[in-house]
Amino acid sequence: MATDNANADGFGEVSRVRGIVFEYLSFGASVFGLVALGVLLVYVAIDAFDLANASPEWLLTYFLTLVVPFLAFCLYSANDRGVTRRALGALGGGLVAVAALFTAVETLVSPIPRLNWQLAYLFVVGAPATAYLAYVGSGGRVGAVGFGLLGRLVGGVAIGLAVGTLFLVFDPLLWFLAYTLGVLPAVGLYAVGRRRSTPRAQTAAAPVGLAGLIAAVVLRDVVSTYPSDLIIYLWTVAVPVAAAGGLLVAGRRGRTAAAVVAGLPLAVATAGGFLAAGAGLPAPTVLLVLVLTGVPTAAYVSRVVDAGEGLAGLGLPLLLGAGVIAGALIVEAWGVPAPDPWLDGSFLTGAPSRTPTDAGLYPAIVGSVIIIALVAVLSFALGVGTSVFLEEYTPESGPLGTLTRILQVNIANLAAVPSVVYGLLGLGLFANLLGLGIGTAVTAALTLSLLILPITIISAQEAIRSVPDDLRRGSDAMGATRWQTTKNVVLPEAMPGVLTGTILALGRAIGETAPLIMIGAATTVFRAPDSLFSRFSAMPMQIYTWAGFPQADFRYGVVAAGVITLLIILVGMNGTAILLRNRAERGS
Amino acid sequence: MSNTTSDDSLITTEVQADSNDDRAASAAETAVAARDLNVYYGDERAIDDVTMEIPEKRVTALIGPSGCGKSTFLRCINRMNDMIEICRVDGDVEFGGKNVYDTDVDPVALRRKIGMVFQKPNPFPKSIRDNVAYGLKIQGFDGDVDKRVEESLKGAALWDEVKDQLDSSGLELSGGQQQRLCIARAIAPDPEVILMDEPTSALDPVAASKIEDLIDDLAEQYTVIIVTHNMQQAARISDRTAVFLTGGELVEYDDTAKIFEDPEEQRVEDYITGKFG
Ligand SMILES: Nc1ncnc2c1ncn2[C@@H]1O[C@H](COP(=O)(O)OP(=O)(O)O)[C@@H](O)[C@H]1O
Ligand SMILES: [Mg+2]
Repeated sequence: MATDNANADGFGEVSRVRGIVFEYLSFGASVFGLVALGVLLVYVAIDAFDLANASPEWLLTYFLTLVVPFLAFCLYSANDRGVTRRALGALGGGLVAVAALFTAVETLVSPIPRLNWQLAYLFVVGAPATAYLAYVGSGGRVGAVGFGLLGRLVGGVAIGLAVGTLFLVFDPLLWFLAYTLGVLPAVGLYAVGRRRSTPRAQTAAAPVGLAGLIAAVVLRDVVSTYPSDLIIYLWTVAVPVAAAGGLLVAGRRGRTAAAVVAGLPLAVATAGGFLAAGAGLPAPTVLLVLVLTGVPTAAYVSRVVDAGEGLAGLGLPLLLGAGVIAGALIVEAWGVPAPDPWLDGSFLTGAPSRTPTDAGLYPAIVGSVIIIALVAVLSFALGVGTSVFLEEYTPESGPLGTLTRILQVNIANLAAVPSVVYGLLGLGLFANLLGLGIGTAVTAALTLSLLILPITIISAQEAIRSVPDDLRRGSDAMGATRWQTTKNVVLPEAMPGVLTGTILALGRAIGETAPLIMIGAATTVFRAPDSLFSRFSAMPMQIYTWAGFPQADFRYGVVAAGVITLLIILVGMNGTAILLRNRAERGS
Repeated sequence: MSNTTSDDSLITTEVQADSNDDRAASAAETAVAARDLNVYYGDERAIDDVTMEIPEKRVTALIGPSGCGKSTFLRCINRMNDMIEICRVDGDVEFGGKNVYDTDVDPVALRRKIGMVFQKPNPFPKSIRDNVAYGLKIQGFDGDVDKRVEESLKGAALWDEVKDQLDSSGLELSGGQQQRLCIARAIAPDPEVILMDEPTSALDPVAASKIEDLIDDLAEQYTVIIVTHNMQQAARISDRTAVFLTGGELVEYDDTAKIFEDPEEQRVEDYITGKFG
């Protein structure tokens, strides 16, 4: 038979056609998906920022004052001639190519709506090149310092705003008592126990904390005079954050550095808080943002200055800030026609309205942030608890083992149940049966937690299962109880995987609309929720409502601004979570 | 294995390193004793009616072909077999004047008195310091942790190599260092017995010989029970040797010198000279 082959004298040839076809088909499919999504996002961004009306002079001004200095910074940090040459080539060549192609398509095929060649250049060449250079630049010492500082500034503001938002619904007076009577003594005991190596103080921490919390709940209505909100936040958040930052720095770089790192931001934040109160701004939020931004930034700067490397990177935030201001000044001075973005300060801080220009997303943002925070805590705690129980505590054989397997199969099936069904369950169970109220924030949070719980459980189980058995046996053989092994060895090892699963699941929860409609969430509310039991709306609900309005401005501009806000908050949340996870991973 | 029997020793290695001659000679108290011990995995018998007394502060080696139940026997002593659901133990294992399989014995408390070192080094993905301090932490040790960590690392002949990097991860060490870290971890809570299941079989010869030297030192303070595949190793480091053969049968148990020079049983001689197993 072998002689039938065409290539009888060699090894012959093996056909790879199917593999090659498969390879190109999958490549094509994924590229198509990404390009489609990319085009959608470009149009949404153009609508949200009204870029279609941006004049070429306006684009050029900001390109020169903001983008060019940033690119120069990245190139300086990368310090690589090859990269510089390629970057300049891509930016210059891309300009010619995009302009030529764009004009050709417009004249030969059909005009492209709401896009001109300058914008096309920005999105097709400018944005990817900037992202790539930022990535390359962050590899250099200077770039790493610059992005590290920028990250702390932006992250601090984001976390400060988020915490400020959460305090809108949590009773600050109760928190004040709980912190003073429970949290502070417990943490203090634990810290002293750790420092002096006295486990008795450490074990006493939990009961003392619990007793304090109970006392706080009991005393909440007994105590009649409380300090002002600003003092409460200063005492319960700002001072501890500054102290923690100072302690961290003191351990590594001595007392003076610690005093500066803790004291300076605290002083600035306190001053800012009182000034804001005088100016009628939300003082607690200002205080929180300033202290949560200031302390990490100060600690980082002190570390960089100590290390003495990449100091130039500390100038990056200044460079960008100066770019924005210079751009604004030039635009102002020369009367360059500027776009009028839908997504602006008043959109983020205003309430919904019947006129598109006045419409704001603030109540829905607050609603979403609160719900997501609750969902994150609930689904993480329940997910980790259940998966630890299923993986570490249940036997594999016997009646209990069978029961576990049945549970396991059902959890997997629950992950596939449509979200509307969960909405129905939430309506029946939480809203009606438990009386948590129709369309309230708790009902929504519990329903969404239930919705993503199967996903969190399954991914946490996967992470726990991937911890090598060697480690468990090692800990067991040391005379650790099951709980000690789980807590000290299994969970720290599994945590990055557990967090990854939770983050992905949260991304799903933040965008859900169907279950919210089912539990009777309002499509529009005009005031931010001020307790867990107030009516709320969430960002996707509000966006969906706007999309149904007859005015085109709503359907294009306002919806686009809402979508971009939702995406930014989602990316910010995931980014923060991923950064924290990576730190945890490196720390262990 | 070469079976040149030019002298009266059955294997070429010098039996009994000089340092433990004196230990073998003098009689010792019994630290661990098995009586009529049978172990089953489901219906399969892995240990067949074993009775033996293991002396205190000596190195006792368990040798035999693979699958003959050495690890199973070792795991009976600290009740690690409890973790295997299909495993059933019959008979007594006495330790500290008590049968460890009595209903009032808490296996977790028992394991705190018996350290264990595994075949594959398994340091926790924590710092070197936290690895060694692990047993102290879970037992709520009230004294000076840092001092204990230092003593244990010295006891495991690792201190000089890691004293400047106690805060770096235990996983960054070489295989041999990791195994010594595991030994330091096992001795930190000051157990009475140390069980070792082929502790050098995953290591290169140089790292293995360091561990062998270490085991010799450990026997000053602890009862060491070591499973090994390597007969020269058993001959070099142990005072007493138990030979298990297929089916979990304890065929001969005697002073190491006697086992390697003049075993009673033909099967043992065949095994040691490589004719069998
Ligand atoms: N976890 C287990 N489940 C089932 N059978 C086991 C298990 N561990 C060991 N065995 C069986 O018990 C016998 C002895 O194994 P082991 O004690 O590991 O031998 P050794 O350590 O001498 O190589 C072997 O036949 C093995 O198949
Ligand atoms: Mg074995």
